[in-house]
Amino acid sequence: MSEAAMTLAGARKGRPSIVQRLVGRALARNLSCLIVPGPEVALAHGLDVAAAGMRIADTPRDAAVLLVIGELSQKLDEATAVLYAQMPRPRAILVLGGPSPPSLPHADVSAGLSQAELIDATGRLQRALAESAFAASPEDFDASVLQARTEYVCPMHPEVVEDEPGTCPKCGMDLVAREAGDSAPESGHDHEHEHQHHSHEHEQEQCHDHDNAGTGYTCPMHPEVVQDEPGSCPKCGMDLVAREDAEDERTGDEASGHSLDLEHHHDHAHQHGGSDGHSEHESSDHDHIGHDHGASGFMSMIEVTKDLPRSADGLAMDWIEVPFGPCFPGLPGGLKLTLTLDGDGVTEGQATSLVGITNEGEDVEESEEMNAQTFIEHLASTMPLAPVSYRLLACLAIERAAGVNDDPSTTQARNGALERERIASHLGWLAQMGRQLGFAWLTQQAATLQLQVREANRDRLAALEPALRVLDTRLGRTPLLKARLKGIGVLSTASSDLRGPVARAANEGGDAWARLWQRLAEITASLDLIKSNGEPELPSLRNIVEGSGTGEATVDTPRGEVRLSLKLERGQVTSFKLDTACSHHIGLVAKLVEGRELGDALVAVGSLDLSPWEVSS
Amino acid sequence: MTIAVVLLALLVCAWLLAVIEAWLTTGRLRPAAPLLAGLSHLGRESLLPRKPDRLFFETAPVLLLVVAVLGAAVLPLAPGLVIADLATGALFVNAALAYVLVALIMAGWGPNGAYAMVGGWRFLGQLIAYAMLVVMPITAVAMRAESLLTSTIVTSQAGLWNIVYQPLGFVLFFIAAMALAFRAPFDLPTAPGELAGGVDAEYTGVRLAVLRLARLLLVITLAAATTVFYLGGWHGPLLPPWAWSLIKTLAVAVSMLLAGHYLPRIREADLLGWCWKLGIPLALLNILIVGLMILVVP
Repeated sequence: MSEAAMTLAGARKGRPSIVQRLVGRALARNLSCLIVPGPEVALAHGLDVAAAGMRIADTPRDAAVLLVIGELSQKLDEATAVLYAQMPRPRAILVLGGPSPPSLPHADVSAGLSQAELIDATGRLQRALAESAFAASPEDFDASVLQARTEYVCPMHPEVVEDEPGTCPKCGMDLVAREAGDSAPESGHDHEHEHQHHSHEHEQEQCHDHDNAGTGYTCPMHPEVVQDEPGSCPKCGMDLVAREDAEDERTGDEASGHSLDLEHHHDHAHQHGGSDGHSEHESSDHDHIGHDHGASGFMSMIEVTKDLPRSADGLAMDWIEVPFGPCFPGLPGGLKLTLTLDGDGVTEGQATSLVGITNEGEDVEESEEMNAQTFIEHLASTMPLAPVSYRLLACLAIERAAGVNDDPSTTQARNGALERERIASHLGWLAQMGRQLGFAWLTQQAATLQLQVREANRDRLAALEPALRVLDTRLGRTPLLKARLKGIGVLSTASSDLRGPVARAANEGGDAWARLWQRLAEITASLDLIKSNGEPELPSLRNIVEGSGTGEATVDTPRGEVRLSLKLERGQVTSFKLDTACSHHIGLVAKLVEGRELGDALVAVGSLDLSPWEVSS
Repeated sequence: MTIAVVLLALLVCAWLLAVIEAWLTTGRLRPAAPLLAGLSHLGRESLLPRKPDRLFFETAPVLLLVVAVLGAAVLPLAPGLVIADLATGALFVNAALAYVLVALIMAGWGPNGAYAMVGGWRFLGQLIAYAMLVVMPITAVAMRAESLLTSTIVTSQAGLWNIVYQPLGFVLFFIAAMALAFRAPFDLPTAPGELAGGVDAEYTGVRLAVLRLARLLLVITLAAATTVFYLGGWHGPLLPPWAWSLIKTLAVAVSMLLAGHYLPRIREADLLGWCWKLGIPLALLNILIVGLMILVVP
């Protein structure tokens, strides 16, 4: 009450009334958030979103808060704008530990990367939502990325608008690319409207259907063919379409028709950005064939599928290319998996990273030359899923470049920290796998343990040991788990690209099940190592190094061996080259998913424990 | 009057179930949470995805809600407390719930999105797996009661509940009911980690509120059916009959939730394989055993 009323960029249009205030309050006490890049990044930073009072949503449709963690890469920023546009209003943006993403409206609340600040920020967000979830004139959201979208139209049928290249379902002609939002000059149709409001289109076409009864059907290629019934052209066999002149007559009615539809108008602002944006979550708009065929009436499935490629089982189906990610609940955030689906089988797939390393292996620009300390911090902060490993790697490489000798006690303390991170990282992977498999208990358990292990000292770790061992026995006894993982994502030792746990599991069967047990065994082994070694200690540069030279170091990170070689000139890092395990593993994805059922393909990708940050983008 | 009482009972059960579900996942007991969630759904935008099949998209959540209530209409809460005591009651439950498939296919097709569509078709596969395991155990139950009247089925268990008389049938029916309600570990059509919500993925606002309520009621209806068929319906000492019905229904519903909490999602291929290769022979065996017992035991 005392605070000045805050305005929310994502407020919903409405006059503040008692009912709406009540709804705002309810909303504030029932927050669900979509985490960008993903829940595993929140965990790796030690953030417990649930403890702060927010539920983690799986989709933007279900989220009221967009929780952005850290600075986003440009690609991820653009993807985030699409996700934000898909969220129903009222919606809010909470940014932790980074600048407000450029493609989004300015963050409603920002805070630092710590649990205390997260809790405080959530409180502020709740007050903001309770006060101003509804506003008389909310801001429109209109990011450039949502407009610069290519869509494909048929030269003959302006109503056919697809998101992907292909052929027109009505006449089979190749579709032509154009920028979305262009009004179609090609025909006399009054269709400008529909590029902005696709939801209207269907209605319009239903309308066509209705009105066309009795107005005649013609062949797109042979205008002399005119029939009263829909059917195929006797000359060329193409499907007849409703006569165009018949369509023109009705455009006026349509316009008045949907101005009466209040809901549409209400959603006006949103349709534009949200559903219209070629989005990660619904770019499947690539159609169910026959879906928007208002004009041509019934279309036989045999006809529709006759030219489609056949899959392994011989059934012809509509193949669709579906993106999974970059913020997909079953995959690490920042990873985008593009699968070509044939039914729910995967015919081919490809993984790319939207957050990967950009200057891997290149010389650092002169202006960007970093002193040794900055380089270490930089490398550690670009790898949110394994900061300690990369800090250690950078320290080692710089020390070797400068000719500093290894010191046994420091090495021991550093290795302690590395092993602790290994435990935390593997727990993070277990939580991620739990999310993918819908195994709520595992997600809860592993996430809680990860938060506790992250910065635990030796005694605390010893105290946590029983809980970690319980995980082993419980997972061994969980029904369905083995059936779900056994034989999925098999990688043989013959492949030279394997590193880390994935390589070590290759000897034990090399499937997702083997990788699970390999990681569980590594958790136990790391615990033992910490017990026999000293107190874990965050690696830091031992003395300010002013030396010059080249250095190379290899660290066995939680995801496998990473090699870093760098050149040091008077304390400045002038060039470095990074060779990570994940950059090798990501290349295996295509082979692992091919020909698998969708769920199995995702499990196979998930079992690799890819960190999209450690891949070149 | 009866209708109002049964509907109220359904809603109370749904509310309790939602509270318990939130308690399981967040560890906090907040009785107001389901109401707040409902209210906030109502306050949010109800978006239409791009190029939807409007009819299917709008109808699916309502159809699912209607189906769940229809199924509950033939299940007695107490002697005489049933909306319609049909002579074909036990079959009617099955017939009504067949429309769950229709609702899900519609919800899958309607929004014109890949995740939803795959989810919808996945449920078609799921139906092929569970359908026989709903009907065949009910057959054995009806054999013992010598009636399809749900109230007669309850009275037939006065001496010995069916869960003891035909435990095999109970296990099969319980699993099939979970698959029908598409709860974890059988949540293939929604599968958050695989399809980002699947058939639920594109629903927001009021439509999502209806869909969520429908899913809760579906679980309640199936739990109530399990109670009537296997747990002796309203029978129980001390408490009034309706209280026993509610307690048992809620217990079954919560055990469905718990199973989902502690299990990973099943693979579709495994579900089909196990249901047909193992489930159906066991269901036949169950019918055989029950038949023999009816002949041998007077």
